[in-house]
Amino acid sequence: MLRAVNRVLVGLAGLMLLALGTAVLAGRLHGVLLSTATRHKWRAHGWWWPTVIAVLSALVLLALWWLLAQLHRRRPREVAVDCGDGGTVAVRGRALEAVLEAEAGALDGVDRARAPLTGRRTAPGVRITLILTPHATPAAALHRLQEEVLAPARTSMGLPAFPAEIRLRTVRHRAERVE
Amino acid sequence: MTPPATSPGYRWGCPQRYPHRARRFWSARRVPAALVAAVVLGASGILLYDVVAVRASRPAMSWRRRLAHELATRPLDGAWATGCAAAAVLAGCWLIALAVTPGLRGLLPLRRDTPDVRAALDRAAAELVLRDRVMAVSGVQWARVDVGRRRVRARARAHFRDLDDVRADVDGVLADTVRELGLARQPALSARVGRARC
Repeated sequence: MLRAVNRVLVGLAGLMLLALGTAVLAGRLHGVLLSTATRHKWRAHGWWWPTVIAVLSALVLLALWWLLAQLHRRRPREVAVDCGDGGTVAVRGRALEAVLEAEAGALDGVDRARAPLTGRRTAPGVRITLILTPHATPAAALHRLQEEVLAPARTSMGLPAFPAEIRLRTVRHRAERVE
Repeated sequence: MTPPATSPGYRWGCPQRYPHRARRFWSARRVPAALVAAVVLGASGILLYDVVAVRASRPAMSWRRRLAHELATRPLDGAWATGCAAAAVLAGCWLIALAVTPGLRGLLPLRRDTPDVRAALDRAAAELVLRDRVMAVSGVQWARVDVGRRRVRARARAHFRDLDDVRADVDGVLADTVRELGLARQPALSARVGRARC
């Protein structure tokens, strides 16, 4: 969602800059960019200044919202877990993240893991970063993560799907002969 | 590692046909968005403040009078206007490129064998794994692997054994390890093995 908004707005800003720049370079605009006469033309109307103030205020609010949206990541505060008897229990998101991180971090070949939740309360997902130990096999660690952490988590929460985005990294280490 | 035989991609025993396409990861473009948002916020905020101040019958800030003056007097075919327009065109092209390209070029998507798991391997991690495996070839004293998005280049120096034998082993190890990484797109491989200077 944020990704689409960001890309559309960044692209729009780019298009506007490009259009203005090419218009000036191609000589489509003559004389000066904003003459005193043009500037004074609207000032006589009673609606001009209130409109300018309204448009600028809207722009300021939108830009502020957009900027703040970049700074914090939305994580579900709690996740609804189906008890199986028709009731649901709310599990704290942070607790679930901690469990996932501990389980993923304890896997063979994994040094440590981060697992911030994504999605919504009723349809959570997770974005996992695994930092692998030196000489671990990435595909094997990924397979273990799916079988031993993600699949059990999905079934124990009674979810139809638990989408995961996984990023594998390795601890930096020196080259050495392993005999 | 091979996925279990029960995974859907292994129906009819054809391991190369995976059911879910592994697409590239798309960046959220937080940094460019934050920059554009900050510029828009700053410009419109200052302008709004000044317009309201003038409405409340206080004098306009000097920069606004100066800006209005410049806009009204600088000819559009002057050096200043041309320079600014060129800069705007460049910045515009850059922002459009950022908006339509996936980014995250450091991530290599991995094959998917379950629909709700998407995974990617850092190129730096792939380099380390491949380097460690090449270093384990007997005779190799030094090795370095560069993993590009389409191509893997390995360089190694051997300090004993016949060079051709070492080269064959390095080629084999490289091919096996790249297959084991489970990348969605098989990169081209190249290896150069030389003699270590003693």
